[in-house]
Amino acid sequence: MAFFEIHGLVKRFLGVTAVDHVDLTVERGELVALIGPNGSGKTTLFNCVTGFMPVDAGRVMFRGSDVTSAAPHRITRLGVGRTFQLVSVFPRLTVLENLLVFLQQHQEDNVVGRLFRTRRLRRFEAEALDRAHSMLERVELTRHADALAGTLSYGQRKLLAFVAALMPDPDLILLDEPAAAVNPTMINQMKQHILALNAQGKTVLLVEHNMDVVMDVAQRVVVLDHGQKIAEGPPEAIRRDPQVIEAYFGR
Amino acid sequence: MPWLIGVVFPGAQRYLLHILVFTALFASLALSYDLTVGHVGSLSLAHPAFFGIGAYTAALLATQAGWPFLADSGAAMVLAGLVALLIGVPMFRLAEHAFAIGTLGFAMVTHIVATNWVEVTRGPLCVTGIPRPEIAMGAMRLKLTTVPHYYWLALAILALAALLYHGLTTFRLGRAFHAVRDNEVLASSAGIDPRRYRMLAFVIGAGMAGGIGAVYAHYITVLCPEEMTVALTINLLVIVFIGGVGRLRGVVIGAVLFTVLPEILRIAPTWRLVIYGALLLAIVIKWPDGLESAFHRTPRLRRGGA
Amino acid sequence: MEDLVEQVVHGLTLGSMYAMVATGLALMFGVVRLINFAHGEFFMLGAYAFWFSFSVLGLPYAVAVVLAAATMAGVGVIYERTIIRAILDRSWHVQLIATLATSIVLTNLAIIVFGAQAKEVPTRLSSTVLQIGQLRIAWHRLLVLGSALVIFAALHWFVRRTKMGKAMRAMSQNREACTVVGIDVQRVARATFALSALLAGAAAALVTPLFNIYPDMGALLTIKAFAAVVVGGFGSVPGAIAASFIIGVSESLAAGYVAYAYKDAIAFVIMIAVLLWRPHGLFGRRIGI
Repeated sequence: MAFFEIHGLVKRFLGVTAVDHVDLTVERGELVALIGPNGSGKTTLFNCVTGFMPVDAGRVMFRGSDVTSAAPHRITRLGVGRTFQLVSVFPRLTVLENLLVFLQQHQEDNVVGRLFRTRRLRRFEAEALDRAHSMLERVELTRHADALAGTLSYGQRKLLAFVAALMPDPDLILLDEPAAAVNPTMINQMKQHILALNAQGKTVLLVEHNMDVVMDVAQRVVVLDHGQKIAEGPPEAIRRDPQVIEAYFGR
Repeated sequence: MPWLIGVVFPGAQRYLLHILVFTALFASLALSYDLTVGHVGSLSLAHPAFFGIGAYTAALLATQAGWPFLADSGAAMVLAGLVALLIGVPMFRLAEHAFAIGTLGFAMVTHIVATNWVEVTRGPLCVTGIPRPEIAMGAMRLKLTTVPHYYWLALAILALAALLYHGLTTFRLGRAFHAVRDNEVLASSAGIDPRRYRMLAFVIGAGMAGGIGAVYAHYITVLCPEEMTVALTINLLVIVFIGGVGRLRGVVIGAVLFTVLPEILRIAPTWRLVIYGALLLAIVIKWPDGLESAFHRTPRLRRGGA
Repeated sequence: MEDLVEQVVHGLTLGSMYAMVATGLALMFGVVRLINFAHGEFFMLGAYAFWFSFSVLGLPYAVAVVLAAATMAGVGVIYERTIIRAILDRSWHVQLIATLATSIVLTNLAIIVFGAQAKEVPTRLSSTVLQIGQLRIAWHRLLVLGSALVIFAALHWFVRRTKMGKAMRAMSQNREACTVVGIDVQRVARATFALSALLAGAAAALVTPLFNIYPDMGALLTIKAFAAVVVGGFGSVPGAIAASFIIGVSESLAAGYVAYAYKDAIAFVIMIAVLLWRPHGLFGRRIGI
């Protein structure tokens, strides 16, 4: 049984098949990139497997349990983290709170209990604070800890969203275009962060447009076009695959 | 305070305390409303319904069944909370505007029922003779019949409401609420079930409103359907927006300005709603974060941040 | 049987009124994505404008109707120039609260100016009756139905054939693209508000001889028209018109056969039922006018 499996996934919108019988397997510890031209269904696939969109057919399995069309918060709590293509932070929470809120639900989700600041809750909070501070150091946002996240620059928000998804220490992390619309320095930084994550033993599935990033970090590349998987293999092979070249340039 | 007022304004003690009772009750009600509007970001327009359900429950139980104050206000809270739970299930399936319209529709239906279900509510004839509260604790009997008594009761209610509001909106629970308010999709990717947290704020707010409605009914002793019209929603929106949405101090200050200023300025009742409406319009356009923000310039949030 | 026919005719008259108000709401939502909580107050102002022209100035009925509708078109333009312009780019919370506040201001100003007492404006047609056997229908109801048909036909022609109507439809489909191809978005928005308010004014002038007018009649009407917009699928004008007639007839039948006191609750019951059953309205989600 593979770590993360997608079998025959189908998603249709008003007659258009956005994801068309896609199979995809990711083994524990792998770093896989999902690429394809605009509108090839990459983000839709992400949204389906993380529960944000109901699927029309197919199955999604994570560590042996069926998570097909489960609610997003349930999938997250099983240990699947994700980021969004358009940078997502909570603008009216501080930078620090943005991180804390990503961990607290994994520590406990006792709504009534939270009215009282028990010793147990205070211990959880202290642990979360420790972890949040180490995350901030990692992406050099420590001095912005108490600023509202909405006041950060675009690149800073992107980094914040990235480490926020890492707060609960997910086993599988799905990154939706982490290098989109940021400057070259930031792209390099992001590459290092992703490689470091994988070196720690985390499984990463990445949607990316920037070919340099894909070729530099991915161990395996999966290519989607018109919702179908058209190629799969190591980066060098994909670069030379005529079908992939056709999909990207032949129109 | 009542004693101080008695010394300073000997002739006007009752009148001033009466205004303070209203201030405290309005502040409590606004806090219960702000849980939903300010903290989980759902613009509910159903609050007068929960206030009214609580007020009628208490008034009818006290006058028809002879229930004591604590029991009938407890029943009022539970019933208002239960109704919120029932109506919340369909309503929270609706997004943004549709939720506002749906809850407004519910509030209007409740008002129509209160006006027309004459056999139970006495309709426009109003429920009369609601007794002032009597609290029995063991052998001790506490009768709250005078305005100064009620002043203390209202103050205690406000303290309770503020305590509950503070507990709910800070620390880990508040953080989850605010996450849902700021970005529902991201919140669920943080493991938060948005609907559950929205429902929680809505139901607790409704329960509080029901309890405050009960206290109010026992104070004014005559309860009419007009107490639960859309005008109440406007009043609550004015209070919450004057002071600052989502802020305890802001909401309480809003309630003080709202209840005390018209008395000082002696504004004719017919003009009041015109002025409140215009004020609300000016506030949401000029200072959507409340008047407080007009004085402190906080760094503006970047657009498209969510 | 005659009784049933009478109730249905009453329902259709009500439906015409709701449809004209709901059309305005759907147009505004379709074109500028704004929900105008003050729309029922436009109807109320239109009714008073008609009362003033007809009862106070003593103008002929047809002239009074046109004058009321024209006055409201002017009010729509002023509304767009002042309040709407300030809130158009703001969050839907701000828009909703601002238009709700406007509705409260207008209602209470009307109480101050016209008094809280209801006014009656009977005309010759509203007090004469068409009698066929046992069936009795006020001529004025037939006038309302006929006028509504003419107005909807004219509206259909306007949005399909005129340049401004086409611009409105284009904006309801893709606002960004409109600015790119050089449509003056603000002008289209202003025309939309003028048209919506005109429809409310015309509806008011047409039905006022049948009902009493009073300052706070707007709120309930706004919500019922919204119910129609929601049931018809947010932003779809044909859907809103169809839903208005469904609501009007149901309300009239409920008033006649179930419980008169609860007739005003029917619209909400239908709305909530439809929302639960089909969250995007009876006719699906097709934003477009």
